Formats: sequence, structure tokens, C-alpha cells
Amino acid sequence: MAYDTDIQISICGSAGDGTIAVGDIFKRAMAHIGYRVIAFDQYPAEIRGFGKCIARTRVATSRVYSMKGYSDVLVSLNDLHAIPHVGEVRNYGALIYDSAPMSAVAEGAHISGHLKPGHIPYALPMREVSELATGANRSRNFVALGFVAGLYQLPQDAFHHAIAAKFESKAAAVTKSALAAFDSGFEAGAASYQFDDVRIDAPRGRKSTHEARMMTGNGAIVQGCLDAGIETFFGYPITPATGIMEHLAVEMPRHGGRLVQTEDEIAAISAAIGAGYAGSRAATATSGPGLSLMTEMMGLGVMAEVPVVIFVSQRGGPSTGLPTKTEQSDLNLAVWGGHGDARRIVLAPTNVEGCRRCAGRAFEIAEQFQVPVIVLVDLYLSNRYETVFLQDENEFLPKNWKPATTPGAGYRRYELTTDGVSPRCIPGEAGGIHTATGLEHDEYGNPSDNSGTHSLMTQKRHEKLQAAIKHPGINFTKRFGDSGKVEVGLLTWGSSFGEALEAMLLAQQEGIRCAAMKVVMLSPFPVRSVLRFYKDCQQILVPELNYTGQFAKLLTSEIALPVTRISHATGAPLDVANLVEAIRRAARKHRRRHNAA
Amino acid sequence: MPSSTHHVVLGNGIAGNHAASVIREREPDSRITIVSAGALLFYNRYDLPNVFRGRQHWVDYLVHPPEYYESRNITLRRKTQVTELDTRTQTLSLAHRETLHYDKLLIATGGHAYIPERLLDYTKLMLGFHNFIVAMQAQKSVRKGGTVIMLGGDVMGIDLARTVIATGHRVILVLDSRTFWPHEVTPSERVKYLQALTNMGVEVQDSGRVERIEMISGTGSARRVFLENGEHIRGDVVMPFYGLVPTVDFLATSGIDMERGILVNPQLQTVRDNIWAAGDVCQIWSAKHNAYRFFYGYRNVKAMGEVAAHNMTGKKATFTSTVSEELVINRDGTLYSPYWEYD
Ligand SMILES: Cc1cc2nc3c(=O)[nH]c(=O)nc-3n(C[C@H](O)[C@H](O)[C@H](O)COP(=O)(O)OP(=O)(O)OC[C@H]3O[C@@H](n4cnc5c(N)ncnc54)[C@H](O)[C@@H]3O)c2cc1C
Repeated sequence: MAYDTDIQISICGSAGDGTIAVGDIFKRAMAHIGYRVIAFDQYPAEIRGFGKCIARTRVATSRVYSMKGYSDVLVSLNDLHAIPHVGEVRNYGALIYDSAPMSAVAEGAHISGHLKPGHIPYALPMREVSELATGANRSRNFVALGFVAGLYQLPQDAFHHAIAAKFESKAAAVTKSALAAFDSGFEAGAASYQFDDVRIDAPRGRKSTHEARMMTGNGAIVQGCLDAGIETFFGYPITPATGIMEHLAVEMPRHGGRLVQTEDEIAAISAAIGAGYAGSRAATATSGPGLSLMTEMMGLGVMAEVPVVIFVSQRGGPSTGLPTKTEQSDLNLAVWGGHGDARRIVLAPTNVEGCRRCAGRAFEIAEQFQVPVIVLVDLYLSNRYETVFLQDENEFLPKNWKPATTPGAGYRRYELTTDGVSPRCIPGEAGGIHTATGLEHDEYGNPSDNSGTHSLMTQKRHEKLQAAIKHPGINFTKRFGDSGKVEVGLLTWGSSFGEALEAMLLAQQEGIRCAAMKVVMLSPFPVRSVLRFYKDCQQILVPELNYTGQFAKLLTSEIALPVTRISHATGAPLDVANLVEAIRRAARKHRRRHNAA
Repeated sequence: MPSSTHHVVLGNGIAGNHAASVIREREPDSRITIVSAGALLFYNRYDLPNVFRGRQHWVDYLVHPPEYYESRNITLRRKTQVTELDTRTQTLSLAHRETLHYDKLLIATGGHAYIPERLLDYTKLMLGFHNFIVAMQAQKSVRKGGTVIMLGGDVMGIDLARTVIATGHRVILVLDSRTFWPHEVTPSERVKYLQALTNMGVEVQDSGRVERIEMISGTGSARRVFLENGEHIRGDVVMPFYGLVPTVDFLATSGIDMERGILVNPQLQTVRDNIWAAGDVCQIWSAKHNAYRFFYGYRNVKAMGEVAAHNMTGKKATFTSTVSEELVINRDGTLYSPYWEYD
């Protein structure tokens, strides 16, 4: 019988156990087989030590939008770390663990003592199997991976392929022992009776004609940058944005671009603005603490009307906060942060494919509207893997800013035009001489403290951005679910939209009429389409990952209507089950009111 | 009784589960842990022959759903093999190198299939029927209309034979002194009962004991069984049913008194104050027989669980069997054992 596969497997271990490595192989193998995959790893903030690592992968035959709130399978490579996660596993789901630890464990320290009655245990002497297969116990992570593949009868070849690809640059012996350990685990898994009800059906024929690739949000941002022809990048490392720079550092030289690691974030944004001013497609990437430092220079970008793209991946804050945990708490800073009325454009993609699209379009938009554009993601989206189907042809437009038609003596770099966008010349262009400054200026760029000039220029800098809402090739809002009037509407942004959409689909299955809208452009705010959606919904829920309800506040300030906030600040993504419960509550409330009326 | 008492019940069978539920009724606050070497929740092994009738999902055999344990706050430790008992420190050593402390211990580890010594070399060529996985393997090994060769023929085997025959297969039973175990039968009764087996459709093979077993190459589980008289028979699967031996190997160094099983008084207490035993694993002192005796069958085993639970929680209870030990011939000439009865 064909049914929809939709399972989530979590591998939990200590740093050094190879947890993330086998999680990575698992997701790549599953994507290669043809499943839709979405994955999110958690690892400790400390580089050295024995912190907890969890690799969670959701595998499905149809598209899924978020991680599940529970797992179907949990593999423990370290019981101390895995025990707190046992409750994640559903009834009749599987727990796979080492039945022969190296040394004696205290009472209660072995995972077998923590299983719930509904869990199905698979005890495997991982260490011993690894030793027999490879002569060392180091490869028990591969034994565990093989066990999973064998138990669920997954194609061994796909895993061999993924293992070989993973260790391509390593000595052949590394691949050999990983394969030997995997195969031994596979044999043990295949020989085990499957008591759990985890079913992994063969994937259906794929609809897309494009090649499936596994990408993280950061990887997709890099792809978007490359597809858009990024020329210069300046950055300073910070979790979780570092991956963008690391990846670009490899790719940009191959594509004729330049990347410089600067001494700090202030230097990075300054250099990026300089490069943007010089006509280069320029970007930087940072996280909340770095964005705090960049805000002053972003003001210069706004004032001097310089295109530049700033990728921001949020983590838990404030201050150093939670470097390896996710949060959506830099919305205020991205939209409003800094001094003066420094309006800029802020885009917040909701999934991995969206990261590529927003990154690519961000360069066009920055150039067209001559302004810094922030692409705001969070750790959950930056590090989350999804299967994406990339199109072969590059959809992003080449440089296409409003040129100065008559440069020369009368050239007005900041001319007040009907759309607010002025003709642009880059340094070195004949007749394009002008002053670019952080001071308020007149149409020529000459400093001016005239109140009328300030008023007109402030208006220009704001009004020119309104048209960005209509920029082609990207949906700045998108509605899903039931059309027309609904009982409950979910309005949210960024990575949280996946959970909101999953919750909406589940609520629909329960007969609740509901819809969800993602808002990708946070500044300027797409008021009209959001209002339209608002009017269709009896109740609006706004789930997001911060304490103060930053998006909800932005929303109410823009549309001046009440919403119900579901704010969640734990450092972890939203819980779909909790969201479904919130939708149920809202629907019940609506029905009571409706019946009373 | 202090509420923190940790009752450890070793064994997830009838005796252990019934004892745990009675302990919980009597002591709502104490800690109860059932330890089991198996992976599954408590399921009804008496029903296992039904795998031949197509009931092939293990969940269908569960006695209690998972919620049962949660609602009673009974911890169930599965895939947890006890390797040693230290009565001095009151700890059980577990195969995965953990120790488990108990205040009161009930040993209800049941029994496992007895294989005569002369056949031990052929263990790999036979399939038991002692758990769900093996039952499924056995069922899958027998072709439609195929043949099961049963060796010995204890009451578990005869019970299975009824279903195997009813589902369109052949059963050839190679007789042994342990045929009808644990019923003790006189030579004249044996003749009657063998006739009853024939009436049930069992093909009785009385040409002497099994000499050796051979794999028929290229056939999976098909085997040839050679008998003492030189004859051989062929079947899809060979299943030993020579009765049970108590599972007591982990008690070798414990100082608990044992003969074949654990020796207990009629209150089911061992030589240690805080250790009891119940079910197939124990031999109970019978004043009537002036000997320690095994008492088999669902009703006996369940009653033992109850008696042990009462005594572990401060009440005085004594085990007495109410189960007849006689085989019966039904009106239609077929055989019936009181041990086949269960709730
Ligand atoms: C297929 C089948 C059919 C049967 N049919 C009948 C029948 O019709 N009539 C009849 O009278 N009897 C029958 N029996 C026998 C019957 O099952 C037993 O009499 C009864 O189950 C005994 O119950 P118990 O609680 O003593 O032990 P069991 O049910 O055998 O349970 C023993 C438990 O102890 C655990 N255990 C053992 N050793 C260890 C260890 N070292 N560490 C941790 N855990 C351990 C096991 O995992 C198991 O959970 C049948 C048996 C089988 C296998």
C-alpha cells in the first residue's frame, strides 16, 4: 500500500561522537533517494568539550515545512545527553542505543531505564560491532546509522554514496572503516525484527524537473549571492552567520569576486558600503551583536543612498546571549535600529528556497532603490537543511540601476524625482562628480542644514521605498490554507512560518477553517495585503520566537488592529502541537461567540 | 511500610505483571520496576498459535496498552538482562553494566525450552515458539499445506499442533518420554492419549528418538530428521517441545537455594527475607507430596503472582493450586489439557 512517509529521526550524542556527521550523511542519502528532507542540527556553543549534539532530520514523500514536534526514532550515542530527549519519541516509535557501554554506569544513567512503555527499544552493542568491523570503537556512529538503514530497509547504495562523498577529501582508510562499520550496523538492523510502526515507503516520482539538492538557509543565501553575481563581501565571523562567509570565501574567488575578513563588524559594513558606493554588488553578514555595531554605518548607507546587502542571522540575545540557539528577537533592530529616520528595506525569508530568492533579489532591490537591504533570518533557518529544487537558469537581474542620463556640471546625484529614486553615477564615471556624505544634503550632495531640504530629503528617502513592495520575482506576502472568510488566521514571519503552516494544515484536518499568511517584507510593510487577510479572519494569531512580540507590535503599529500574540523565547523553534492547541482555542472562542450571537 | 520501598519484579510474564498490579493496588506510593529481557510489553503467549491464523501484529497480543503502566506508575525496563544477583548489597547487575537496587525482589523469570543434550548440536536447525518473533519465523517457514515436525510434544506443542492442523498444515510428532509434559501419564494412559492425538490429525511418529537433523540445502528452513531406526522424515521446520527448564542461570552466585528451580515455601519466599519467586521459575514446598514441586499453567502462575505480591506488602498469603493436572479426552475423542485455559 502506498502511504505518505513522514518521519523524523533524531541522533543525539556528545561533541566528538560524530553525531552531526552521520546526521548529515543520513539526510543527504535520503535526499538522494528522492525524499523531501528538512533537517536541523543543534550543537554546543563551546568548540571543545563534551556538549550535546542533536541531528534531527524529517523525511517525507511530500513537501513539509518545519521540523516535527516529536521524533519517530531517537538514536543515542550518549545516554546522558539523550535521556532528556526520550520524551520526544512518540508511542510505538523507536529508541536505538548502545547495549554495551565501555564502563559501568550508575543506576539510572543508562537510557533503557528511561524508556516509556510505548517506546520500542533496539539495544545494539555499537562499540563492539564497531570494533569487530574496523578494529576501533570510534565508528559506532556509523554502526548506528547502518542499523537505522538496515532496520527500515533503506537502499544501502545511497548511504555508501553519501559516506564516500563525505570523506572524499580524507584518506581512503577513513571511508573504508566508515563503510565497514555502516555495513555491520546495516546487517544488524536488517536482522532485527521491526516492532515499531515507523514506515518509510519508497519515494514517489518527483514532480520537479530540477535537480534536488540539500541546502541550509546559509547555503541558499550563498547560492543567491553567487547567482546574483556578488562581487565583494566583507565580514567578521559570528555564529550563526559565519557559514555564509566561510562558504563565500571558497566560492567567490572561483567566480571572480573578492572577500575580505575585516577586523570587526564596523569595518565590514563600512567597507561594504564603500564597495556598494563604487558600484560593486557588495554584502556583509552578521548576527544580532554585529548588527548592533553596524547600525551607525547603515545610517550612512541610507543617507548617502548606497546599495548594500546585509545578511543577519539572529540568535538568542541580548548581549552574547545564546550563540547556538535560535530566536527572532532582532526584528526591532533590523527595522528600526539606529539613529535618525533611517528607513531601509528588510526582507525575511521563511524557508531555504526563500533564502536564495531573497538573497538574489536583495541586490537588485538595493540597487534599484539605492538603499541598504537587510535579509533577516535566524539560526534555525540558517542551519536548517531542506531539499530544494534549483532552476538551471539564473532568474536574478544583472545590475540595473537608474543611470544618470545627463551627467555633467549640473548633475544632481540626489535629484528629487517623482518616484524618489535619483540617477546614479559611480565614481570614475565622466561627469558624475558629486559629494556623498553622511550630512544632510541638497540634490547635488552638498551639505545643507536647511529645514526645507531636510524635510524634502527625508520624505524622498522614505517614499522611494514604497515601490519596493511591488518588486517582481518575489512574494512579499503569501496566503495559504482556506480561502475566503476563516475562523483563525496565522500571521507570521521568518523561520516560524514553517511551524505555523504545519499547525494550520493539522487544524484544517480537524475541520477548523483557517489560513496562514507569511510576511516576507518587513520594511516597508505590505499593509494592503496584510489588511485584506486580516479582514478575512475572525481571529489573528501571531506566533514568533521572541518575548516581546516584535512582529506583532510592528503589525499593530502598521495596521492599528488587535492581534493575539504567541510569543515564545526558549531558544528553540515553535512547537507545532502548541500552535494547533492555540488554533483550537481560538476556533472554540469564535464558535462560542458565533453561537451566542 | 515506607512509601519509598522499591519493589523490583524480575520477569515480564504472567506472574510478574500480576504481582506488580497487586503491589500497586496495595501500595499506591511505592516504587515498582518490572525488569524484562524482552523488547515488548507483556503479551499473551498462550495466543501465539494464532499467528498461523493470520494474527500477525504483535500489538494484537498485548495484554495491557502502554498507558496501563503509565497510569499505574509502574516502570518497565525492557531489553534489560539481569546477569547477577547480589543479596548482600541488594543489587541486580544488568548486562549493560548498570546496577539496580531493590528493597524487595520478586523473581519471576519463567522458563525456557528444554533441549535434550543429544540434540544441543542441532539447536540452530530448530525453531522454538517461545516468543513473538520466533512464532512469526515458524509461521513464515511453513509452506501452504506444508509440514511441521514437532519433537517431544509437551502441552505447548500440542496446543500449537491444533492450530497448525486447523490451518491446513501437517504435523508430524516425534514421540519422546516428555510427550504430554508437564502431565505425568501412565503407560496405559499414554496409549489413549496418543490415539486422541491421532484423532486430532497429528501424525504420530513412534520409531524411536531423534538421531540427528540435517538442513536440506537451498530450502531455507526445510530439514530432514533422522530417527534411531534409520528412517528419516522431512518437514518445513523442526520445533522442539520437550518442556521447560527454569531460567535461573543468573542466580548461580546468589546463595539462593535451588534445585532445578528456585526453592520457596508456600508463601513463595526464598531463603532470603526480602526475595520471593513466582511462576515457572519456582518449586514450591508441598507438604502433601513432601517435596518441592513445579505448578504450571496460567491460573497457577497468576495465583503465585498474587500470593507473592501480598506477602511482599505485609500480608500473609499461601499458595494452593486449584488447577487439575489431569489430561482429558473430549467427547469427540480429542485431547484437552487444563493448562490451555487462560482468561
Ligand atoms: C508459545 C507458548 C505457549 C504456551 N502455552 C501454554 C499453555 O497453553 N499452557 C500452559 O500451561 N503454559 C503455556 N505456556 C507456558 C506459559 O507461558 C508459562 O507457564 C507462563 O508464561 C509462565 O509465566 P511466568 O510469569 O512464570 O514466566 P514467563 O512468562 O516465561 O516470563 C518470564 C519473564 O522473565 C524475563 N526474564 C527471564 N530471565 C531474565 C533475566 N535474566 N533478566 C531479565 N529478565 C528475564 C523474560 O524476559 C520474561 O519477561 C506457553 C509458553 C509459550 C512460550
